[in-house]
Amino acid sequence: MAVRLTVNGRERTVEVENDTPLLWVVRDELGLKGTKFGCGMGLCGACTVHLNGQPVRSCSTPVEMAEGAEVVTIEGLATDGDLHPLQRAWVEHGVPQCGYCQSGQIMSAAHLLQNSRSPSREDIVAAVSGNLCRCGTYSRIVAAVESVVENRADQSGHGEA
Amino acid sequence: MTLNRRDFLKVTAGASGGLVFSLSLPGCAGVQTGYDEKSGDWKPDAWLELTTDDKVYFTLARVEMGQGTYTGLTTLIAEELEVAPAGIQPRFAPVASEYRNPLYKLQLTGGSTSMATSWQPLRVAGASARIMLIRAAASVWEVNPEECRAADGRVVHPDGSRSLPYGKLVELAAKQMVPDDPALKPREEWQYIGKKRGRLDAEAKSTGAPIYGIDVELEGMVYAVVSRPPRYGGRVRSFDDSAARTMPGVLDIFEIERGIAVVADKYWRARKAQDALSIEWDNSDALALSDEQVFTSYHKAADEDRGESERSEGDYNDAVESAEWVVEASYEQPYLAHATLEPMNATAWYRDSAIDVWAPTQAPDLGRIAAARVTDLSPDDVTIHTTFLGGGFGRRLTNDYIEEASAVAFRVGKPVKLIWSREEDTRHDLYRPAMLHRMQASVSGGQLTGWHHQIVGPQILDWYVRNAAPAQYPWAPKFLYNTLGRVGLMAEGIATPKDHSAIEGAIEYPYRVPNLDIRHTHTDPGVPVSWWRSVGFSHNGFAVETFMDELAYELGQDPYQFRRSLIDHEPRHLEVLDRAVRLSQWHDGAQEGRARGIALFRSFGTYVAQVVEASVEAGEIRVHKVVCAVDCGQVVNPDIVRDQIEGGVIFGLTAALYGNITFRDGQVQQSNFHDYPLMRHDQRPDVVVDIVDSEESPTGVGEPGVPPVIPALGNALFALTGRRQRRLPLKAQV
Repeated sequence: MAVRLTVNGRERTVEVENDTPLLWVVRDELGLKGTKFGCGMGLCGACTVHLNGQPVRSCSTPVEMAEGAEVVTIEGLATDGDLHPLQRAWVEHGVPQCGYCQSGQIMSAAHLLQNSRSPSREDIVAAVSGNLCRCGTYSRIVAAVESVVENRADQSGHGEA
Repeated sequence: MTLNRRDFLKVTAGASGGLVFSLSLPGCAGVQTGYDEKSGDWKPDAWLELTTDDKVYFTLARVEMGQGTYTGLTTLIAEELEVAPAGIQPRFAPVASEYRNPLYKLQLTGGSTSMATSWQPLRVAGASARIMLIRAAASVWEVNPEECRAADGRVVHPDGSRSLPYGKLVELAAKQMVPDDPALKPREEWQYIGKKRGRLDAEAKSTGAPIYGIDVELEGMVYAVVSRPPRYGGRVRSFDDSAARTMPGVLDIFEIERGIAVVADKYWRARKAQDALSIEWDNSDALALSDEQVFTSYHKAADEDRGESERSEGDYNDAVESAEWVVEASYEQPYLAHATLEPMNATAWYRDSAIDVWAPTQAPDLGRIAAARVTDLSPDDVTIHTTFLGGGFGRRLTNDYIEEASAVAFRVGKPVKLIWSREEDTRHDLYRPAMLHRMQASVSGGQLTGWHHQIVGPQILDWYVRNAAPAQYPWAPKFLYNTLGRVGLMAEGIATPKDHSAIEGAIEYPYRVPNLDIRHTHTDPGVPVSWWRSVGFSHNGFAVETFMDELAYELGQDPYQFRRSLIDHEPRHLEVLDRAVRLSQWHDGAQEGRARGIALFRSFGTYVAQVVEASVEAGEIRVHKVVCAVDCGQVVNPDIVRDQIEGGVIFGLTAALYGNITFRDGQVQQSNFHDYPLMRHDQRPDVVVDIVDSEESPTGVGEPGVPPVIPALGNALFALTGRRQRRLPLKAQV
């Protein structure tokens, strides 16, 4: 069947079976490889994307659930070539080791920051606790998110980070 | 003047004391070095290429799986070449003898050896190129090269007013004499080594760049999945693919050595067709064991065979006979899966009598053998393209996924991407072996007089040698592969190194005890095993450092003071032990409801002491804080040392708290992260890493953070509960 969806602001139509996980549509039909396959059961978070503004596990989201929806992937975070503040913080804090889980970590954190102006450490940990990292980069992930939150506080009144 | 670049390689090899072997071996792909008349580009050695438009390419012979080689090794080149690390473009090495790991005579990344083995040769490579560039510039200016200097990719004139970029000098530099013994920059002049600098791959990994094996995309590519025997050693008896063949997108279904391959135009279609397969397995030679049999068989083996002596000092039997007191304990540790977050995968394309394989592999030369084994091709017909690895931890030293992808591609004749599911990845791993440790110590006059350690379990080389031996002798005809594998084992210590995988970390027992008896009883239940982050150290660390803790309590001593009193002859051990104690304020004790445990362990040349603070809350073990003191010699990138030690702590705690692969009727019972859990964000302790400032040669940091944290946590739980746990994983209630 043909499924229409908007991915990173672009309208796309894909011809796939409607039970195809959104993950494989994004990766193989649309060529956006930043969203990762980790477990196929929504257990590791490597495949996290935003579906109508909500973080979802694309490995266990059939594409039919994305019909007509807005999907944002890691490739859609940067604007006009400028990295998202979280991506800059990830680089500055040297977060990634193998890096494979980091798209999912960033997408979970990005959703938190869209919905909370100044989340606490507990909020941050709760937002990313469904994202596994086998390399153990957890402390830097939290530090990187906190740095973006602090930066926002410093620039309060100067628009969204 | 004609320069023999291979001679240059030999010079650098000599200076390093490593990089031996095989420059003239037939059948080895050679690395072309030298000057390219057409492009004007210059390859002074196997690692560097400088172009006329000022680009510097660095061939990275060790893969990047998160441990930081991409940044760390590039830093060594940058320092001596006088180019900022970010100005150097690393490229993953093709298979060639020049890129072998000198410790293993194989092109593999493992054993925390990359920095230790690259430290000298890569700096020499960078320095040689720099000196030749300086001499080239000096010849242009007709000045004394000694008075010129290199800085930031340029050679600066003695008067400081002029400079020439490297790109303008490569043609002339290629004609300079190769320096025999290039002087390396003194420590005081280092700009990059030892300084805090970010990772060169951080941006690519924060923006979703398609850099991993699973991201490879080729025109006309199709997808494959493989159904493997659920029990190790099983075979296909028969299969019915009639339903699967009618499913959309299915291109072919056929048997390969390792199972039934389903090829389809899309991954999801291949998966769905796989579900429609009906396969009958022949389990006549398959693994039949269930979990309790593993340790039952180990105890039986230990009773029947004291094992081979691996280290003996004094007379342990005498010590026991004259002892006032003998303390005993035995420890059981389970099989563990690697659980890299990127599942096993490879992409292969057979065309024009040759095969290209794109794969996240820790051992590309073994990957060539793997592809050759399952096709009609020879290793020379196989080109391995190494990608970034979404985790390795030893799993990707075995190239079973390359075998599968190659076997399928050889038949399909199109680019084929093979992806394992998480369930397949968990159930068809090669595991950290389950091990039994029997410990005994003799005590007289309040002093430890004897130490006996009997290690019981398999050796990893038994499982690994099949592809490793042919990779060491790539000119050998394929019909000899199996023989080579067996000969390699029989000639252990000659053709292959002695297998330390069971005993490492036990035979280096560092404490002062007059009588030592350390043995290995070799027994193998038939479960495939492999290297797993920190390998033998992972289980020997638990055995040695838990038993040391037990002895401290038995003798009524503080666990820190007990260790300290027996290791004051080892200054590097002592330093990290004292530091961890100071930093954790050990003597003040933990806060109410918590307790602390300590462990000290050297692995891969790196000394680590850790203090763990833990509690049991709401029926779960809670790890609050881990203080680490680390001596890894000269630090090349402090930020990476920290992240590796911290990552090792999380990896070790995951094993200590959850790691348990079990079998029922020969089948692995775990499948995904719900029943093989990894430590999560909300379970993470605070980790503090203190690094000793050292000028000793650098040693590895990818693995040494793992071993001590497992006993340190167990020791903390003993301090908390008064109950000693001698079997992993640890439980909140015992």
